[in-house]
Amino acid sequence: MVDLRDMRPNPDDILEDLFGNEKNRKGRLEIFFGYAAGVGKTYAMLDDAQEQIKCGVDVLVGYIEQHTRPETIELMAGLPILPPKIVEYRKIQLNEFDLDAALKRKPELVLVDELAHTNAPGMRNKKRYQDIEELLNAGIDVFTTLNVQHLESLNDIVQNITRINVQETIPDKLFNEADKVRLIDIEPDELLRRFENGKIYRPERTEKALEHFFTKENLRLLREIATRKAANRISHDNQNEPRLSQKMANIKLLVCISASPSSAKCIRWTERTAEAFRAPWTAVYVETMESDSLTDLEKRSIRENLALAERLGAEIVTLNGYDVATVIAEYAKLSGITNIVIGKSRNRKTIGNLFKPSLEDKLITLLSSIEIHIIPGNVVANKNTLSKRKRIRIGQNLFWSWQDGLKTLGLLIGSTLLSLLLQSLNISDQNIIMVYILSVLIISRVTTGYLYGIIASGLTVLIFNYFFTVPYYTLHAIQEGYPITFIIMLLVALITSALTVRIKTQARLAVEREHRTEVLYEINKKLLASADLQSTITLINDYMAQIFGRSAIFYAQDPMENITPTFLQSPLDSDASFLLSEDERAVAHWVFMNKKSAGAGTDTLMGAGAFYMPIVSQGKVLGVIGLSCSNGNLSQNNRLFLRIITSQLEMALERHYLSNEQRRASIESEKEKLRSNLLRGISHDLRTPLTGILGASSAILENGTALDKETQDTLVANIKEDAQWLIRMVENLLSVTRINEGPMNVRKTPEAAEEIVAEAISRIRKRFSSRKITVKVPNELLLVPMDGTLIEQVIINLLENAVKHSPERSTIEVDVRKTKNQAVFEVSDQGSGISDQDYPYLFESYVPDGKRSTDSSRGMGIGLSICKSIVNAHNGKIEAENKKNGGAIFRFTLPLEGSEDNG
Amino acid sequence: MDNKSVILIIEDEKGIANFISAILKANDYKVIKADSGKDGISMAASYSPDLILLDLGLPDMDGIDVLKNIREWTNIPVVVVSARGHEREKVEALDLGADDYITKPFGTSELLARIRTGIRHSEKHMGGNLLAPSSLTVGEFRIDFDKRLVSVAGKAVHLTPIEYKIIVLLSQNIGKVLTHDFIIKEVWGPYTNEIQALRVNMANIRRKIEENPAEPQYIVTQVGVGYRMVEELEK
Repeated sequence: MVDLRDMRPNPDDILEDLFGNEKNRKGRLEIFFGYAAGVGKTYAMLDDAQEQIKCGVDVLVGYIEQHTRPETIELMAGLPILPPKIVEYRKIQLNEFDLDAALKRKPELVLVDELAHTNAPGMRNKKRYQDIEELLNAGIDVFTTLNVQHLESLNDIVQNITRINVQETIPDKLFNEADKVRLIDIEPDELLRRFENGKIYRPERTEKALEHFFTKENLRLLREIATRKAANRISHDNQNEPRLSQKMANIKLLVCISASPSSAKCIRWTERTAEAFRAPWTAVYVETMESDSLTDLEKRSIRENLALAERLGAEIVTLNGYDVATVIAEYAKLSGITNIVIGKSRNRKTIGNLFKPSLEDKLITLLSSIEIHIIPGNVVANKNTLSKRKRIRIGQNLFWSWQDGLKTLGLLIGSTLLSLLLQSLNISDQNIIMVYILSVLIISRVTTGYLYGIIASGLTVLIFNYFFTVPYYTLHAIQEGYPITFIIMLLVALITSALTVRIKTQARLAVEREHRTEVLYEINKKLLASADLQSTITLINDYMAQIFGRSAIFYAQDPMENITPTFLQSPLDSDASFLLSEDERAVAHWVFMNKKSAGAGTDTLMGAGAFYMPIVSQGKVLGVIGLSCSNGNLSQNNRLFLRIITSQLEMALERHYLSNEQRRASIESEKEKLRSNLLRGISHDLRTPLTGILGASSAILENGTALDKETQDTLVANIKEDAQWLIRMVENLLSVTRINEGPMNVRKTPEAAEEIVAEAISRIRKRFSSRKITVKVPNELLLVPMDGTLIEQVIINLLENAVKHSPERSTIEVDVRKTKNQAVFEVSDQGSGISDQDYPYLFESYVPDGKRSTDSSRGMGIGLSICKSIVNAHNGKIEAENKKNGGAIFRFTLPLEGSEDNG
Repeated sequence: MDNKSVILIIEDEKGIANFISAILKANDYKVIKADSGKDGISMAASYSPDLILLDLGLPDMDGIDVLKNIREWTNIPVVVVSARGHEREKVEALDLGADDYITKPFGTSELLARIRTGIRHSEKHMGGNLLAPSSLTVGEFRIDFDKRLVSVAGKAVHLTPIEYKIIVLLSQNIGKVLTHDFIIKEVWGPYTNEIQALRVNMANIRRKIEENPAEPQYIVTQVGVGYRMVEELEK
């Protein structure tokens, strides 16, 4: 006997399948990499494509630049070409790569020139590399070309060499993760020769290019960089990675980001270094009290810098604090940073900053064991912004309000009156000074900004001088010590006021931070408490609306699969029902498919009205969250906060999915168990009749003439009997396959009970024509929701059982009744009844060996268990008992309500 | 020219085709066999058989498509062979113009009965203007179409107009299975879904004409498909 256990699918395989369907094959990316235009990248790419098409690969030329040289054009012969999409922009017709057409056509390999190209406005993606990522995600292989100056991390180096600012860059990640990079290299001399022959640019552009870019020295340097970059890639590939990462595990870089443009340089430098060491790196932005007073321009540049760092693969951290150095030092200590990169601009050394220790000095003092790298910044660029910022800061801290002015005045008058009182009581000057310092302190406390503290400090000195120094009521001070007293008093007053203001600011920041932590804690707590997916989603939408004051939308599945997203209109937001539109859904779909944020304020599909963020866990998108941006884009800070919240949400969603998965797996394994028991139960039964058929038929075939007619007839009759038995068995098994999808899958329609019974009886009659069967049905038509074929099978099985277990001449009774809310079907016989030994296993499909009664050894061993499964699937009940006057009675009930289709 | 009826069997299973043709030959039919849908269609066109036995599960094309194709150009009766449990498939085939169906596994007598009915109905077709009989008798059941009278064992049965309409419809197609949809359309008209009403009417008819409605003799139920009026009582 075959051990059927071995045939049972491994539960792991089932799970694998469940996940496997979602994991599409990613396309392979091959980059043809060169150091300048004209080295022959496109040529090489086309050449390779020709090779591929010969091997039977479905190649499509997605886009080739227009200025391509005739030799290259020749190579395109025989390759299918995708017509470019023509976009009109400012009355100029631009040719662009038609991404949607390529995705629709779905070839195996697409050729797209110029990876770093920036798409025309109005295209879906801002950059071509994003188009290519989509192609790869769709499982399409891509060939593309790239020049070294377009690599993000090398951008500044190349700029230094060539003095040309390259705007179009691609993230290094793409280059590093490309499946294949082919360096296309020729001698600079050769390149220059090609160039002079006008093979690269049209003649009018040649001259300009020659002057600026194509000098022999430039080319040589670029070539070196490109070759080195390619070599680095190879050495990384070859190195034993685990060993390396072990060794370098202790290196962790941190780069400080500010609004200064030199920050970008620091970020790139850090990326290159981190890449070289294969070390993780963090970009930190410290929010101080100055942050509120940044100009829009500066805010934007911070945002851009953070975005750049993110693109280059940094972990982004925003910290709060008064003193940048302290905050960074604290963070570095806590997170095990080994190297800190800071930018330094020379114009920091203004007179005002002369006595203030520089950031790097402070860091060195605070962190003796950490290496600090200083990257010189660009001098000219930020002079303007710095002074502007100062103006604004002064403006903010020194603004005038009548209310605070009156407070100050009142307090000064009060303290003067108190001092006069003290003087009249002959209490000494020192105490009066104390009173004034106290008043300055109180003024700083109750007013906002530095202004009143400073004014009060000056005024107290003057008032003290006027009222309480000899000569009284003049501003002269005769006594020798007084100037010193004045100075000390002024200093003390100034410092106290400054300190108070600082403490207040810190308190405000602390409260803000506290609030965020609290919100996070609260979210976390509620997420843990939420019982199901829908409540989690509703909860998150509530918080989104509450925290950001924006309308939120949440898709728990692929937005294109016609699901209803959960949408919440925030009372603080303008009407955001546009979030439900088809266009917005398409954006969410894109996010879902590409596992990347998109929409307003990003580089992709920026025309959308909302910002969409995927919730990704272990490479699987669990949902897409969208926030309306009709009242302005999300700030970097908000986005960070959103990211933190989503990471909480990720865990919560994953928990739900896992528990669902687990439930499904356990159901699956339960079903599997049932099925394998069933198989085991019948495998034995099947062999007996098959052996009989085989034996009888071969007996007739081989000894045809030797057998007498009677024997032959008996044998043929046996074959027929066995075959009929097999057919019944198979029909039972088919019934099982119809219900094994669980109760929800029984298709119930109202059927007339009498018709089903009649059909079953007529089938039994055909086989056992001699048996007497009586039927009683109610006088009223009884319509019962059921799957007619299955219930018919139940009745047939019960009847057959009755026929088998009762004497030939006895009567079998079928009775159908209606009770209050269910239909009762009864089949009773006048046989020997059910033995106590059999009773417990009556409806089991598999009976432990040796406990099975003899007469079921080849009976409908599985018949009753199938009856039970079918009746259970109809939410009914089946039971059996012995009648008092002999014989067994089988009874099953079907509920009369719950029909899915009343038609 | 011999007068034997020609039966085309479209069936890919050799064993089944063999046994069907053995039965048919033994019962004086001429048999031609096709083992694919395409062959079946071309043979139907070239031999113009009296009846086609069509298995719905064919290797090269869907049996339903074969049926559609055949029905485009001929009214040759088609009896569909299908497995139990595929009720929807049967209903679809009947609605697409199949004359009858037979469920696998089937016995000899059942097969011959279906074929007889199929050929008889088509003869009626060909006869065209043959006057409808004025009465019909099955066992003790009798319909007098002229007097619009139904009787069982000589006793008149009172039927409502709808019930009478249903009985007449079934008797006109005696021996053939009629799908629920077909009956509803004929009796109540198109655009209605009166399956419940049909069931209630049928239950009432049975209570009036059958001895035991749970063991009907004259109008039998084909679960999931429809109703059939039997041509002769089963013994």
